[in-house]
Amino acid sequence: MNQIWNIFRKDVRHHRPEIAVSLALTVAFAWVEVREWDHQGMMAFGGGAFLYQLLSELIVPLLPASWMLLIVRAVHGESLVGDRQFWVTRPYDWKNLLAAKTLFVLAFVNLPLFIMDAFLLAKAGFRPSAYLSGLLWMQLLWILMLLIPTAALAAVTAGIGQMLLALFLVVLYMIAMSASSGAVPNSGFSSDVAPVYFLLVIGMALAVIFLQYSSRKATVSRWMIAGLAPVFALIMIFAPYRTLIAREFPISSNGQLPLHVAMLPSRAPAPEYAVNMGNSIPLRLPLSLSGLPSDSFVELKGVILTLTNSQGARWDSGWQGRDMLLFPSEKTANIEVRLGQEDFEHMKSSPVNIRLLLAFTLLRDKNQRQFVVPNGGFAFPDLGLCSVQTNSWSHLVPRNLVCRLPLRRPSFLLITTQTAQSTCPLPKNQTPPVSGETVWEFFHNDSEPADPGISPVKILGLSLSNTNPSGRSDPGICPGTPLTLSNPEEAGKNRLEVQLDNVSLADYQQSSAPLTTESH
Amino acid sequence: MTTAIQTDNLAKRFRRVNALQSLNLNVPQGAVYALVGPNGAGKTTAIKILMNIMRATSGRAQVLGIDSSRIKARQLESIGYVSENQELPEWMTTSALLAYLRPFYPTWDRNLESDLVKQFDLPLDRKLKHLSRGMKMKAALASSLAYHPKLIVLDEPFTGLDPLVRDELIHGLLDRAEESTIFVSSHDLGEIESFASHVGYLEAGQLRFSEELSSLVERFREVELTFDAPPPLPAQPPGSWMHLSTSAAVIRFIESAFHPEQTTAQIRAIFGEVRDVTFSPMSLRSIFLAMAKPARESA
Repeated sequence: MNQIWNIFRKDVRHHRPEIAVSLALTVAFAWVEVREWDHQGMMAFGGGAFLYQLLSELIVPLLPASWMLLIVRAVHGESLVGDRQFWVTRPYDWKNLLAAKTLFVLAFVNLPLFIMDAFLLAKAGFRPSAYLSGLLWMQLLWILMLLIPTAALAAVTAGIGQMLLALFLVVLYMIAMSASSGAVPNSGFSSDVAPVYFLLVIGMALAVIFLQYSSRKATVSRWMIAGLAPVFALIMIFAPYRTLIAREFPISSNGQLPLHVAMLPSRAPAPEYAVNMGNSIPLRLPLSLSGLPSDSFVELKGVILTLTNSQGARWDSGWQGRDMLLFPSEKTANIEVRLGQEDFEHMKSSPVNIRLLLAFTLLRDKNQRQFVVPNGGFAFPDLGLCSVQTNSWSHLVPRNLVCRLPLRRPSFLLITTQTAQSTCPLPKNQTPPVSGETVWEFFHNDSEPADPGISPVKILGLSLSNTNPSGRSDPGICPGTPLTLSNPEEAGKNRLEVQLDNVSLADYQQSSAPLTTESH
Repeated sequence: MTTAIQTDNLAKRFRRVNALQSLNLNVPQGAVYALVGPNGAGKTTAIKILMNIMRATSGRAQVLGIDSSRIKARQLESIGYVSENQELPEWMTTSALLAYLRPFYPTWDRNLESDLVKQFDLPLDRKLKHLSRGMKMKAALASSLAYHPKLIVLDEPFTGLDPLVRDELIHGLLDRAEESTIFVSSHDLGEIESFASHVGYLEAGQLRFSEELSSLVERFREVELTFDAPPPLPAQPPGSWMHLSTSAAVIRFIESAFHPEQTTAQIRAIFGEVRDVTFSPMSLRSIFLAMAKPARESA
């Protein structure tokens, strides 16, 4: 313990400037954050609005960067690369050294962040002690996602220059992986592989830190980190995405998914309206929907389109992610899939069979209740502290709610209203909404018990909409607007297959024509 | 335990280079052992293996009775190490360095620390980065002596230092010689000669000899034979004769196994009557040069 404290005090003395910068940035972040909630930033400064804007933009990347700098400087204080450092031949116990560095990070990264987060929660009107587990979870996320990987890179580099080079290579690799992932079929939809990457990074980072502190095998450690690059690439290329998706979304049998979907016929757009996006052609596949019980709705998570023509040619889109809510009131929906110009020309030369696989999550409404938006600030059930935002600068923009949420967006919350029931005043020359038209906002959040981020106060602008192209999407939320709230729960995940044979592919090319001129 | 350092067939290979080959060292406790040799001979490599900074390719080494690969914090509490190319925490002042290191050593002696600071005339309030090279070495040495180490390992400590500082360092070391074993590597033989009790000569990774300095100096002599007429050089001189040369009626060589009677008898047996025989004692530097020359010529 004596040794840990001794090393810790030495690091504090040595890194006072970096600590001061990091703490100053923490205070600046809290200051900017509170001002942003009240939209005071620009107004408060007048002539200094540009500087404030610059600060508010830069503070978010600068604060984590200052944490990274603190970690790197602390680790490099007793560099683990090379054999000329004085400490190597001094009676340092590696466990004590690691503990001292950990204490340093906890004291000057985690503790200030925790205090700032508690302060922000209190300032936003929430009692910090009620959100202790969430605050600790946010700390854990930072530790796992930034602090440990940074410490691992610092442990295999001898100085700031090497560290910057390592970071540059990591960023370059991530960009390359991200760019090439689009070329790997199905990889965009399946999320089952992401935890594997995460676990590999954390596991490898911890192993490298342990190895470096216990035996300073820098070459082995560097190869271990470099080895992750081909492993990730191999996982991305060879992961059995289709199997994983099929397991997550089994084919609906015996009415597991109470939804009937059929493909509707379509007609080819006039040549001047046929949409052509460079080298790809967007197809619009109209579907009819029925059978969904009134207390349920579905979330379309992904689609896969397979085309085969009479000449035996086949084209497959691979699984593509979607994020579309479908309610019982909706009788049609359009699915858009793109294919290359060359494939399109080839496939449309003869009649095609269209096979569409749709992956749905079924959600069942629960705990439905009414809520009338009050005046001023108010506590919105399951959401946070909200107020109606007034757009004094524009009468054309409907008013909506701005809410401060503690730690996270809600797990399952559906907010609906009838457009005709909106109490917001209609702008001049706008036709009144059609009776019976529904707008909604659905929150589905898996991050338990807190969303990642620096601030524990999440700001949410709540506006309601629907997917009906002819509908009025946002009637606005004003004091007196009645809202229906519910907490849907997941009732199953299934795939549905829809097939339509012997059709002309050209009939499904997307049209840019106005709705009235779309049909010829 | 009577041996402070012992190595058995210690070897280190860097890719294609054999930095150390079958090094067998034996440093008795209480000795001041000087490991000498030209640059690149493998002295630093040997020391790094002894200090567990580097792993040997084969063989083993024991330091204070512990396998060197197992040297950890506890063993380092009784070993002092100073190297010419050691990276010190230059942002610290001398007093901060001493204060920082104090808690690491249970045997740290505050009085000895004060004595060393006075002896080395260390400026306590100046940062190490602002100190001269000599002052840095003295600060490093003071911080390595203040806890009464059983073993002091010094890697080329005198390189680049002015004579005054070297003297101060040597005196500082000699004051501790009674309670410690000192293992020092150097190619600066002038200083080594003044205080080493044992010497080992390392060249191209191989130990040429390792013995007490007194016996080494005793067995090396510059021999000058004067004849009445130029004599022929013997076809097969004894193996202990080195650098045999002739100039007119004089033959000179270096005897590496000098014994007054035996060497004289050997000379008479080979040359017969010799007008004059001179045996001159050699400095360590001369012995070192004599040893280094044949190896370089063969290389």
